[in-house]
Amino acid sequence: MKLTIRLWILIFALVLAFLSIAPWKYFDDGVLITSVEPNSTTFSEGLRQGQIINSINGEEINSIEDYSNSINKLFPTVEKTKITIGTDEGESILFANTPPEIVVSSMPKSRIKTGLDLSGGSKALVKAKDRDLSSEELSDLISITSNRINVYGISDIQISPVTDLSGNNYMSIEIAGATPKDLEDLLSQQGKFEAKIGNDTVFIGGDKDIQDICRNDATCSGIRSCNQASDGTYFCTFDFTIYLSSESAQRHAEVTGKLETDPLNPGYLSKKLDLYLDDRLVDSLLISQGLKGSATTQIQIQGSGQGATNEDAFKDAETSMKHLQTILITGSLPYQLEIVKLDTISPSLGKEFLENIIVLGLTVFIIISVILFIKYRKVKITLAVILTMFSEAFITLGVAALFSWNLDAPAIAGIIAGMGTGVNDQIIIIDEAVSSGSEGIKQRIKRALFIIFGAFFTIVAAMLPLLWAGAGLLKGFALTTILSVSVGILVTRPAFADMIKKSSEQQ
Amino acid sequence: MDEKEQEKNNPNQVSGKEKFNFEKFHDKYYKLLLIIPLILILISLFYISYTYSKIGDFIYKDVSLSGGTTITIQGDVDQSIIEKALAEKFEGISITRLTDLRTGEQVGLIIESSSSVEELRLELEKILGYKLTDENSSIEFTGSTLSDDFYKQLITALLISFILMSIVIFILFRTFVPSVAVIFAVFADIVMPLALLNYLEFKISAAGIAAFLMLVGYSVDTDILLTSRVLKNQQGSLNHRIYRSFKTGMLMTLTALAAVLPAFFFVTGLPDSFRQIFLILALGLLADILNTWITNVGIIKWYCKKKGIA
Repeated sequence: MKLTIRLWILIFALVLAFLSIAPWKYFDDGVLITSVEPNSTTFSEGLRQGQIINSINGEEINSIEDYSNSINKLFPTVEKTKITIGTDEGESILFANTPPEIVVSSMPKSRIKTGLDLSGGSKALVKAKDRDLSSEELSDLISITSNRINVYGISDIQISPVTDLSGNNYMSIEIAGATPKDLEDLLSQQGKFEAKIGNDTVFIGGDKDIQDICRNDATCSGIRSCNQASDGTYFCTFDFTIYLSSESAQRHAEVTGKLETDPLNPGYLSKKLDLYLDDRLVDSLLISQGLKGSATTQIQIQGSGQGATNEDAFKDAETSMKHLQTILITGSLPYQLEIVKLDTISPSLGKEFLENIIVLGLTVFIIISVILFIKYRKVKITLAVILTMFSEAFITLGVAALFSWNLDAPAIAGIIAGMGTGVNDQIIIIDEAVSSGSEGIKQRIKRALFIIFGAFFTIVAAMLPLLWAGAGLLKGFALTTILSVSVGILVTRPAFADMIKKSSEQQ
Repeated sequence: MDEKEQEKNNPNQVSGKEKFNFEKFHDKYYKLLLIIPLILILISLFYISYTYSKIGDFIYKDVSLSGGTTITIQGDVDQSIIEKALAEKFEGISITRLTDLRTGEQVGLIIESSSSVEELRLELEKILGYKLTDENSSIEFTGSTLSDDFYKQLITALLISFILMSIVIFILFRTFVPSVAVIFAVFADIVMPLALLNYLEFKISAAGIAAFLMLVGYSVDTDILLTSRVLKNQQGSLNHRIYRSFKTGMLMTLTALAAVLPAFFFVTGLPDSFRQIFLILALGLLADILNTWITNVGIIKWYCKKKGIA
């Protein structure tokens, strides 16, 4: 049988889906590093999130069990021992008497990502109590929360803004895999920001101490100059002003009054202004000599960014400035947060669900195949329908993997239900093709396509509102349904029509 | 339906008297047959308004729409003990078992309550005698501010969905009566399952309402098939065209049911959202058999006879 363009398109789409799903990952060995404690020796020795551990001290590591066995054999020890960790990006050698400060997980079996309800994890939907957030406020909230979560070293986390049909703004936080106990605590409390010189607190977050931070106003905040350094790289400096209350200005005067000028770095005082977020040091700023003992309510914060090109340096400076500004506004949110939805799904229950869904998907596939075979009693036609049905689900999964969508239970329900409508369309095509009448096969297939397009547009129209309604929680369902019927109409249906045309011409 | 399929006549292969009789019967009584779905729709509408007068809402909402906590405890925990102990302290507790698909063994217990997470968890820990961690349990909480809003939006979405579907149908057929017949059949496909769920006091979740949206698109294809075969392709007699659509359409509905029924018949170890979607689609498809082949056929046949389309 000669392959038509439409059949080639189908084959091409299937190959792409195969590459995007990457089913060969099923056979990959090793364990995946999902997070590394920042500021640890493990981190400084080059281990990073996303690397794959293949060996420890020469022993092969194929699974989580292998990993915990080797680590349990080695630690804890009194003396520091040498441990060589082999990853896909090279070897790291550590000397330690405690296990490396990393979290590992088993290797993903393919590039298809499952949602929290199937893989386990926590998800929270947060809004401001008794008021609506503007989109700027929401983006501040997201930056602040991201900063704080980074401080805790929690990885594999997604924070995103969600807007629904009635214009409410929410912040959605998803933590896959492990479920951190403190997600709720983290969200129910305001972040704590403190600026200290030595052991003395100068000011804390919240509008009592810091009355305002200049942002997005070029007169008191911005990138001031960019220059080329002697080694050829570029650097840009920024500054922005913060406004303190008179009490904290007074405290600043007292504390800095006691400091000396730094002999190694003249122009600056001997101690730095240390910034703490939830009691962890996040940044240290040099204090200019001129500020010694001054009770000023306006402090200019300065910093710089570097890069290989002028543009890179500018961007780096901009990022650093935003980062510092966000840290400083932590604790000064003018509203309380309310967790409106908090789901924690245990990974083992999720696994049970996923296994059942796969069994269900296969069952549906078999039942439909049997019904069609009973009806048509032709292996060729039945195989063509089954192949088309499979292609549709496979290409849909491929697209989902390509865009890293998290497929939750409703999303998979959409794919399975889509298999049902897909088959319906094939039935219409076969029926028109075998119908008697004076018209030619082309004419009849054309009529079948009218019905199919009609059904396609109604289902898309029906699912469209779900993309926005209900805080995006059912977006996955709408997306996969629309996607699978679109794959049907654009790729598999035309190819199937060609297959049927060929086979009826042969007869 | 089998009986009907056998009896319905294909004039191209005329054989046997009974088949002929059915065609005659249908020609004579198709208008009268419309009374059956009409009565069912009226009963459904009446029951839905009765539900509204009783609980102040069109549906029974589960905790994802009314606010509250769902805790899933893993393992073979005795349902009756927990039920008894909780019934004393909490109102409106509902407990369902979660069983494994293949072995039928209980893998967990789902407990729903309108109370807060802490209240319910502490009480459960007291009864069970151990701590609930994220290894042995799952907890889902929806605040009432979210759920109210959520519910309103999903209902709005359902209305928008219905309107969009109607527009597509009007664009497709560009004639008033046939389009309205299709839209009316879809409307009945929603109303009948909803009334049945209300009668069973079945609690609908957010995913369940999403399933109604999908039903709008899912049930309409047999109606499109019928209408386009009857109006657009005028080969063979009217009855013949209707009968051919019926044969194709029933197979379509059957395969669609094959896709959604297994989930609801023999699988309980599935996420609730999943089960709801399939249950509602299945009920809708069953209603669709009636509404396409009696309601829609009746109206379109009437229309064709009036307009002289044979």
